[in-house]
Amino acid sequence: MVTTLSIVALLAAGLLGGVYAVTKEPIRLAELAAKNEAIKAVVPEFNNEPSQEFIKVASAGDSLVLYSATMNGSLVGTAIETFSNNGFSGEIKLMVGFDNSGNIIDVAVVDHAETPGLGDKMEQAKSDFHVQFQGKHPEDFQLSVTKDNGDVDAITASTISSRAYCEAVQRAYDAWKETRAERN
Amino acid sequence: MNKLIVSPSPHAHTTESVPKLMYGVIIALLPAFAVSFYFFGIGMLIVTTVSVVSCVLFEYLIQRYMLKNKPTLLDGSAVLTGLLLAFCLPANLPVWMVMIGALAAIGIGKMTFGGLGNNIFNPALVGRVFLFISFPVAMTSYPEPGQWLSYTDAATGATPLGIMKEGLGDSTAGELMKEVPGYMDLFLGKMKGSAGEVGAIALLLGLIYMLIRRIITWHIPVTILATVVVFTGILWLVNPEQNADPLFHLLTGGLMLGAIFMATDYVTSPMTKKGMIIYAVLIGLLTVIIRVFGAYPEGVQFAILIMNIFVPLLNKYFKPKRFGKEVKRG
Amino acid sequence: MNQWKNFSKGFIRENAVFTLFLGLCPTLGVTTTAINGLGMGLATTFVLVMSNIVVSLIKNQIPDKVRIPAFIVIIATFVTVVELVMKAYVPSLFDALGLFIPLIVVNCLVLGRAEAFASKNNLLSSVMDGLGMGLGFAMALVALGAVREVLGSGSVFGLSFLEGDGMLLFVLPPGAFIALGYLIVLANKLKEKTA
Repeated sequence: MVTTLSIVALLAAGLLGGVYAVTKEPIRLAELAAKNEAIKAVVPEFNNEPSQEFIKVASAGDSLVLYSATMNGSLVGTAIETFSNNGFSGEIKLMVGFDNSGNIIDVAVVDHAETPGLGDKMEQAKSDFHVQFQGKHPEDFQLSVTKDNGDVDAITASTISSRAYCEAVQRAYDAWKETRAERN
Repeated sequence: MNKLIVSPSPHAHTTESVPKLMYGVIIALLPAFAVSFYFFGIGMLIVTTVSVVSCVLFEYLIQRYMLKNKPTLLDGSAVLTGLLLAFCLPANLPVWMVMIGALAAIGIGKMTFGGLGNNIFNPALVGRVFLFISFPVAMTSYPEPGQWLSYTDAATGATPLGIMKEGLGDSTAGELMKEVPGYMDLFLGKMKGSAGEVGAIALLLGLIYMLIRRIITWHIPVTILATVVVFTGILWLVNPEQNADPLFHLLTGGLMLGAIFMATDYVTSPMTKKGMIIYAVLIGLLTVIIRVFGAYPEGVQFAILIMNIFVPLLNKYFKPKRFGKEVKRG
Repeated sequence: MNQWKNFSKGFIRENAVFTLFLGLCPTLGVTTTAINGLGMGLATTFVLVMSNIVVSLIKNQIPDKVRIPAFIVIIATFVTVVELVMKAYVPSLFDALGLFIPLIVVNCLVLGRAEAFASKNNLLSSVMDGLGMGLGFAMALVALGAVREVLGSGSVFGLSFLEGDGMLLFVLPPGAFIALGYLIVLANKLKEKTA
C-alpha cells in the first residue's frame, strides 16, 4: 500500500521535475517580457534591459522599484513601480515614467482590483484619465484631486480610486527625487 | 420531512382583495409622487411612466408567452412594482436603463420565482440593485432639485449621504453639515436623491394613510426607523465628530421609502408580529452598518434584500398559530 | 456501452455544469469572457483526459485504501504541468485564469470521473469519457462566458461591438449566478425535448 503510493508520488515528481526544467527558461523570459512591456509604455525608447538595472527604495513598509532606461548608455528616463494601499478595494500598482528633469512621461496601471466600470477607468485602455498626467511636473502640478484642491480631475464617481492613484504617483516622484543624486 | 401548510399572508386571503390593497398602496404613494414631481419635474414623470409601462408590459409578455397562463394585468402589483422602482431611481436615468431595470424587477425578481406571492425578494429592489451594480456611474449621478424641464441633461451631484461618506475622515461631521441642505429642506425633500425617496413628510403621510386603512401595521416601518435612530444615536454620542446625527440619517437616502413601502411588501416580509420585529430590527442594523462602515453611502436597499432571504426562516420559527398546522405525510 | 455514448453523454445528458452541477467554482469564477471560459475548459479537459488515462491504466495496481490519495497526486501532477506550460507559453491567459488553475485539482468533476468511471472502465472508454466530459464542461464555460461577455462588456471573444461598458453586473459574481441559472433553464428545456 505504502509502496504503491510512494511509486505513484515518485513518478509524479519525476514528471514534474522534467516539465519544470523545460519550462523554466520560457517562464523567466515571459515574466521579463511582461515587465519590459510595462516599462516601455511609460518611458522613451531605450536599448538596455531596464528590468535588469533597478534599485529599490523603501517607502511606507514596502518598497518601490526604480528601473533606469538608457539609450546607448545615457539615461533617457526612469520607470518607477509604485503602489497605494488606499484603493477602493485593496492595493493599486502603477508604473510611472519620469524624464531626467522629473516630468511625468506617462502612467500605466500594473495591477488593481478596483470596481469594474468605476475605479477601473484608471486603466489606460478604459479611459483618458492618465492623459492629464503626461508632461506634468509634480512640483507645479498638485497631485491630488480637485475636490482636495489639487489639479487632477477625478474619475467620475470614483474619488477614492483617483486619490489612491494620485498618492501612488506622488510616492513615485518622492522616490525619484530622493534617488536623483544616486542615478546621475 | 414535515410538510407545513403555511397560510398566505393574512392580509390577502382572497383574490379580490389583492387589487384593492395594491391600489391602496399606490394611493399612499401619491404625496411622495407629488413632492418628487415638484422637485424633479419632467424627468421624474418620464422615468415613472417608462417604469410602470415596462413593468406591466413585461409581466404581460412573460405570462402570456413564456409561462402561458392567464395574465393578471389588473391586480395592480406590476403597476406598484413599476412605481416603487421609479421611486428609487435617479430622475435623470435614460429610458433604456429604466426598461432594463423593469425587466430585471419583473423577469428576475418576480416571474422567475413563479409570479406574485412566490417571489423571495422585493421585485422593485431587485431592479434597483441590478441597475445600481450594472450602471454605477448613471446610478450615482443624482439630479439637483428644481430643474423642471431637464431630463438626462440635468446638472448632477452627490446625495447628502454620499457627501457625508466621502468627507468623513478628512473633515468632521459638523463641517460637512454645511455642505448638505438644512434639516427643513431634507424634511421637505429639497435634496439630491432618487426620484421618490426625497420628501420625508410626504412618505410619512403615506404611512399614516396606510396605517389608517389598515393596509399595513406599524411594526415594520416604526421598528426600522427606531432601530436606525438608536444605533446612529449611540454612534453619534460616542463620537459626534465622525458620525452624522440620527436626524440626518433618518431624513436622507432611501430609508423612509424603504422602511415604509419596500420592507412592508406582503410577500417578502414575515407573517407574525414577532417575526416582523426581528426582521425590522435587523434591517435597521444592517442599514446603519452599511452606511457607516461599508463601501456604499446608502445601504437600506441591500439591507432589505438581505433580510428578505431570512423571511422564510422567520416564518418557520414564528409560525402564525391560527393559520398553520402540521400535517402528516401521505 | 458503445464509445459514442461515452463521449456524447458529457454534452447535455450528463453535462458537468448543467446537469451534475460539478466544478461550479471555476465555472462561476473565470467565465467573465468567452476566451477565459475556453481556456479553463480546455485546461480541465486536458487534465481530465490525462488523469482518466493514467487511472484506468493503473486501476488494478492501486489498493483500495490509498486510491483517493493516489488519484489526487496524479491529478495534481497534471494540473501543475498545465500551470507551468501556460505560464511559459501563454502568460496572458495565465494572468486571467490565475488562481483558478491550481483549483482544477479540487474540481469535483476530475476526481469524480477518476473515481466513478476511469477506475472501473478500460482505457478507451475512459479516454472517451474524459474527452466528452471535458469538452462538455468547456462548452458550458464558453456559453456562460459568452453570455456574460456580451451582456457585461459588450463584446464577443474580445471583439467589442459597444462603446463603453455593458451591464457590469454580469462581469461581477452575482451576474455569474444569474446567467448560470438561466442557462440551466435552457439546458433543461433542451433535455426535455431530446428525452
